[in-house]
Amino acid sequence: MQNETTKIAILVAIATLVFLLMPVFLILYIRSYTRHKKNHFLEKQNMQQKFESEMLQTRVEVQDQTMQSIATELHDNVGQLLSLTTLTLNSINLNDGEKAKKKIDNSLALVNKSIKELRELAKLLHGEQLVENGIGHAIDQEINWLNKAGSYELKINNQLIDLQITSPNKDLIILRLLQEIINNIIKHAQATDIQIDSHLANNILHLRVAENGIGFNPEEIKSKKSGMGLNSIYKRIEMINGKLILNSTPGEGTSISIEVPYP
Amino acid sequence: MRYLTPIFIAEVICFIAAIAIIWKDKHAFGKVITCYLAIALVTEEAAAYMAIRGIHNLWLFNIYIVFEISAILYGLYYCIKKYTKPKSIFIIGLGIISLTYIFFITTKPFTDLNTITISVMSVIFTLYCLYYYYLLLKDENFIEIKTHPEFWWVTGVLFYYFGSTMSNIFDGLFMVRLIGFVTLRFLIYILLNLILYSFWLYSFICRMKQQKLQS
Repeated sequence: MQNETTKIAILVAIATLVFLLMPVFLILYIRSYTRHKKNHFLEKQNMQQKFESEMLQTRVEVQDQTMQSIATELHDNVGQLLSLTTLTLNSINLNDGEKAKKKIDNSLALVNKSIKELRELAKLLHGEQLVENGIGHAIDQEINWLNKAGSYELKINNQLIDLQITSPNKDLIILRLLQEIINNIIKHAQATDIQIDSHLANNILHLRVAENGIGFNPEEIKSKKSGMGLNSIYKRIEMINGKLILNSTPGEGTSISIEVPYP
Repeated sequence: MRYLTPIFIAEVICFIAAIAIIWKDKHAFGKVITCYLAIALVTEEAAAYMAIRGIHNLWLFNIYIVFEISAILYGLYYCIKKYTKPKSIFIIGLGIISLTYIFFITTKPFTDLNTITISVMSVIFTLYCLYYYYLLLKDENFIEIKTHPEFWWVTGVLFYYFGSTMSNIFDGLFMVRLIGFVTLRFLIYILLNLILYSFWLYSFICRMKQQKLQS
């Protein structure tokens, strides 16, 4: 009997130890799980920070682009018009009434033109907040600017003007991408025709810019990794879970298609 | 010497820490656990006094487990309610334990140790602890478990009640005396109590760190 009791006692002691070991393993598992969860959380936070900093940079670049456009417009257009007005007014001879009237009328016309140009500029300045009115308007504004600034044959099909839905962050990035694509065309493409199409289908926003410039070898440009160019465009497209399809052949122009889940 | 058992020393340390740290908390949890520790302390010493005098003391433990059930259930409820609304499952648990307790006092003499209720409540407390861990893992936010007071409080409860399962089941069948009055059962309970109060003490220290950060 004593022997039986000892056996039970040993059994209980061993079982108790096993029962105490189980929570130890449970705690180790919880510890490792929470550690993974923490890493995941920090990674998510890090990505969010990166996204926010990228958004801030994009905003600054859009502002820079707007300011550059305004500076160019003031220098090349309004400045010239006002200089011409000054010259005309300076050359007025009050003794020759008929000629003086003609020159004053010319000056008035020049001043009116300047006012009109300034109004356009004010619109452009407002364009910085243009994404607030929707991506369709922002694209339209960008096209207007291109139409005025360059000597390009434009074919436009912007179906996003009446778009009711918005996605402020994506709008800003898409606008910046369009600006960069247009900048690249102006700087490097030597194109004469530019075609811009945009539309929304099945919650995917499509934007296509094609030109008939000198084209390039995309692989070569990608490997160079220089400047704001393609790498940055790809990075930003990835940021908004979008897709970019680039087709270019030297001598045959370039087409860039962007597809972004929207909104 | 029989008054100064390791369990009593661990209880005193834990009780002092509870008064110094969690008693001033605005949540009722701190006060409930401190009161429970005071009751455990008094019961322990009263039981030791009776044992020395040769007076039967099991009825005292039968009264004590009412406080134990209330305090531990409240503590677990407090920890779990941060993640979900546990009222219904706690009512069920309390109902089962109460029925077992009533069944025992109506069928057996009150001077017998209420081992059925102790076993049932151990299983229920273990299940609540596991449910707490499940909710903790499921929760979207992560917690730093190293410094999380509730986590260590629940862990102490789990170790104690899960670890005592075998002793509860085989209670009375292995009264092997090791040295003098020390039985294996008593030794197991010393070990379990030391684990429980160590975890609780660590939990109070974590709470103190939290209080310092908040002030």
